[in-house]
Amino acid sequence: MTAAETTPEQSGTTVAVRPPRLPLSEYLRVGALLVASMAAAIGCAALLLSVTGSSPATVFRAMVTGSVGSRVALTATLNHAGPILLVALGALVATRSGLLNIGQEGQISIGALFGVAVGLAVQAPRGITLLLIGATAAAAGALWASLASVLRFTRGGSEVITTLLLNFVGFQVVSFAVNRPWLLQEDLPEGSILSASPQSNPLPPAGHLPTLAQGPGFRLNSGITVAVGLALVLAFLLARTRWGFELRTVGLNPRAARRSGVSPARVGSGALALSGALAGLAGGVLLSGTAFRVNDGFSNNYGWEGLLAALVAGSVTLAVIPSSLLFGALRAGSGVLAATGVSPTIVGAVQALVVIAVTLPLLYLNRRRLRALVQRTGVSRT
Amino acid sequence: MSEAKASTSAAGPEVVLGLRSVSKRFGRVVACDDVSLNVRAGEIRGLLGQNGAGKSTLMKIVAGFVRPEAGEIRIRGETLGFGDPVIAAERGIAMVHQHFSLVGPMPVWKNVTLSDRGHKKVDRTGTSRQIREIGQRYGLDVDPDAIVDDLAVGERQRVELLKCLRRQPDILILDEPTSVLTREESTALFGVLRRLARERGQSVVLISHELEEMLEVTDRVTVLRDGRVVSTVESAEASPDSLAQEMLGHDVTVPAEVLGLTLDEPGKAAGVPGSLPARSGVPSGHRAAVLELSDITVASAVGHKLLDGVSLDVGEGEILGVAGVAGNGQEELTGLLSNLIRPDGGEVRVEGRTIQTGRGRQLSRAGVGVIPADRHDSGCVLEMSVAENIALGSLDGMVRWGVVQQQKLHQLTQRLVGDFRIITSSLSAPLRSLSGGNQQRVVLARELARRPCVLVAAEPTQGLDIGARGYIWDRLREAAAGGTGILLLSSDLAEIMALSHRVAVINRGRIVSTMARADVDLAELGRMMGARTHDRR
Repeated sequence: MTAAETTPEQSGTTVAVRPPRLPLSEYLRVGALLVASMAAAIGCAALLLSVTGSSPATVFRAMVTGSVGSRVALTATLNHAGPILLVALGALVATRSGLLNIGQEGQISIGALFGVAVGLAVQAPRGITLLLIGATAAAAGALWASLASVLRFTRGGSEVITTLLLNFVGFQVVSFAVNRPWLLQEDLPEGSILSASPQSNPLPPAGHLPTLAQGPGFRLNSGITVAVGLALVLAFLLARTRWGFELRTVGLNPRAARRSGVSPARVGSGALALSGALAGLAGGVLLSGTAFRVNDGFSNNYGWEGLLAALVAGSVTLAVIPSSLLFGALRAGSGVLAATGVSPTIVGAVQALVVIAVTLPLLYLNRRRLRALVQRTGVSRT
Repeated sequence: MSEAKASTSAAGPEVVLGLRSVSKRFGRVVACDDVSLNVRAGEIRGLLGQNGAGKSTLMKIVAGFVRPEAGEIRIRGETLGFGDPVIAAERGIAMVHQHFSLVGPMPVWKNVTLSDRGHKKVDRTGTSRQIREIGQRYGLDVDPDAIVDDLAVGERQRVELLKCLRRQPDILILDEPTSVLTREESTALFGVLRRLARERGQSVVLISHELEEMLEVTDRVTVLRDGRVVSTVESAEASPDSLAQEMLGHDVTVPAEVLGLTLDEPGKAAGVPGSLPARSGVPSGHRAAVLELSDITVASAVGHKLLDGVSLDVGEGEILGVAGVAGNGQEELTGLLSNLIRPDGGEVRVEGRTIQTGRGRQLSRAGVGVIPADRHDSGCVLEMSVAENIALGSLDGMVRWGVVQQQKLHQLTQRLVGDFRIITSSLSAPLRSLSGGNQQRVVLARELARRPCVLVAAEPTQGLDIGARGYIWDRLREAAAGGTGILLLSSDLAEIMALSHRVAVINRGRIVSTMARADVDLAELGRMMGARTHDRR
């Protein structure tokens, strides 16, 4: 055996797994598949819409113009994408450590609840107020997720179940708080004839996220920049640091982790806490960026959409950015669509079709990569 | 069985199961090599052999779980197709696997009906009655309504037997049925088997490595070695010693240089060529112990003692070989030193300091390296790259401010890939894409690169070809020469003999004997490995 045979060809100093490169024809095929599946999704959606009595053309136009068609639409997309991306990052951290956190809806709600409580209580310059709101929201989300962690690592209760059920508890906590005048329910001016609704007082301007761009009918807040910044930081942490390495090891082979002295319980509970913190922070961004107050049903599916965005992104950390933008766009488009009178159920179905159409070619790509690996090496065992 | 049934062959009872030239290979490993075998009606046939001799594979071929490359299986003279367990079952073959296939939370009667085919309605009372009837007839008492999880291991095995017997099979195959049983449970099982053979004319194939019980219960024993039938003997005429010799082989296919032993002059290690370095260099009895286990006890969830008061010590630069048939506590011993198990009693000391195993980094910080028997279990992460697998557990010097220094890791990996001749397309290729031998080299390279003071090597060359095997042996010898104390656990006697300075025998969770390499009598060693010297519990 000569040295030339045994020394692998190496470019750069990459030590992380790189997916095998495929021939150009494969990528073209993926592109063609994307076009085809989009066409199929649009076809199905059109059928669905015409059956239910809407005009497909109008609906698609509304969805496109509502998400990317104007500066107003783009702003809506980005404002939605910020919190979705934060949630997705949290979901991703948990998944990498081998845990499935599906309690983002609750973590968002609890994060925002504590965020608004702090935002209403302090009187400080904007920077400090915002930092306090963000930190409190993240901490509250982390603690909420850690309840599931305690059950998982001391009693062996599945975190999938506990995080899911904690959602409902979280909703009730928020509902309780915004229905109690002595807690967070809004104050009405003396002698008002309206009765107070189940929502909190609005944050003072010091608790509003800075504006990036503004115009008639739109205001782009800085939530998206916070989220993208954190995505970059997290991608680095996961790929390059000891923490990220240990987290991935625990996720892929907990016994190998234990053998090398890494405790799956310690790493896992940390990951779940961070996951909850990011969802809580998403609640804080929603609060300070667009909602300014907390009400019943505050999380409004941002949690589920973020979770889906993470699942669609799969194993590539930074792919959550485009996938969150997609979900943000869908949300913005559907908002406009709902205003045209199409039933929300149908809007949801159309949304789902688009997501499937985007995911399918990615799955195909992964399969081809796996096959390329198998063919190159002759290894077919799992 | 009535004698009226004339057999096709000239003499003796009818041949129920006939194998002709059955061959099966897994990759480069030959599991069964041109095996022919005849089992008669009413016969209890033993299949004896070391681990990897091909016993289980052969019977899995018969039961349709494994598809052979060549050969023929005949049931009462008629050809049976390959690779279809349903058809094999219909043709009267039933197999009790070494690892039970029962659904724990379900009651016995449901487990028994699970294997039923067709769309018949599940008949609880009928099944329960049947279970009681068969149970009474053969002494297999089990409560049909008991939950399987609540049953002792012996009772679970009875459930497996009931599942088979209910279908009135012609051929009953049992794979290592006694490895989990107590002495009393084994005796009871043998009683049942004898009754089945005598009263029903049932043919039984019993796979085992325990010499004495083989002779106790079987009519004839077929010895397999390296996938080949070595001999078939009448049990009445055989002795444990003669069987041990057949099982281990007079001469082995591994080159004598690598092997360093012959069976013909037991205990005469003097005849071994000087290919066992270190050994002569290290004066025996004066080494500082780097690893000491004292009175280690590990019990299973149901209370079986998997390790029963194990005490041993490994000196600096010494290789202590622990010989034993797989499943006698080696897994627990490795698990203990891999930080996966906390002992129920006893103490682990590394270089004189007491170590808590099972939590934290104490073991790996103390310098204990492990090459686990199943590298995929805790030895590596298949989805991670070669470099990341190298980093596993040796990150300590490579992290600054929490960030892994890619350059350093890259250099280390590059060096190890060269030194250990690891064949990989790149350092960032996922470990999954490497061949088994190269995966093992990655594990070996990582563990040795840390210069551990103790290295636990469990079946380090299992499933590797002879070239890779010799290479890994050389590396282990080198490490020992450099001062690492090596605890070698192997079910392969050739490996034990080639590497060890001292040899300990493990049997049913106990260290039965420890002796210097020069004092080893191979036949005696084989007997101690296979002997039923202790009862579980």
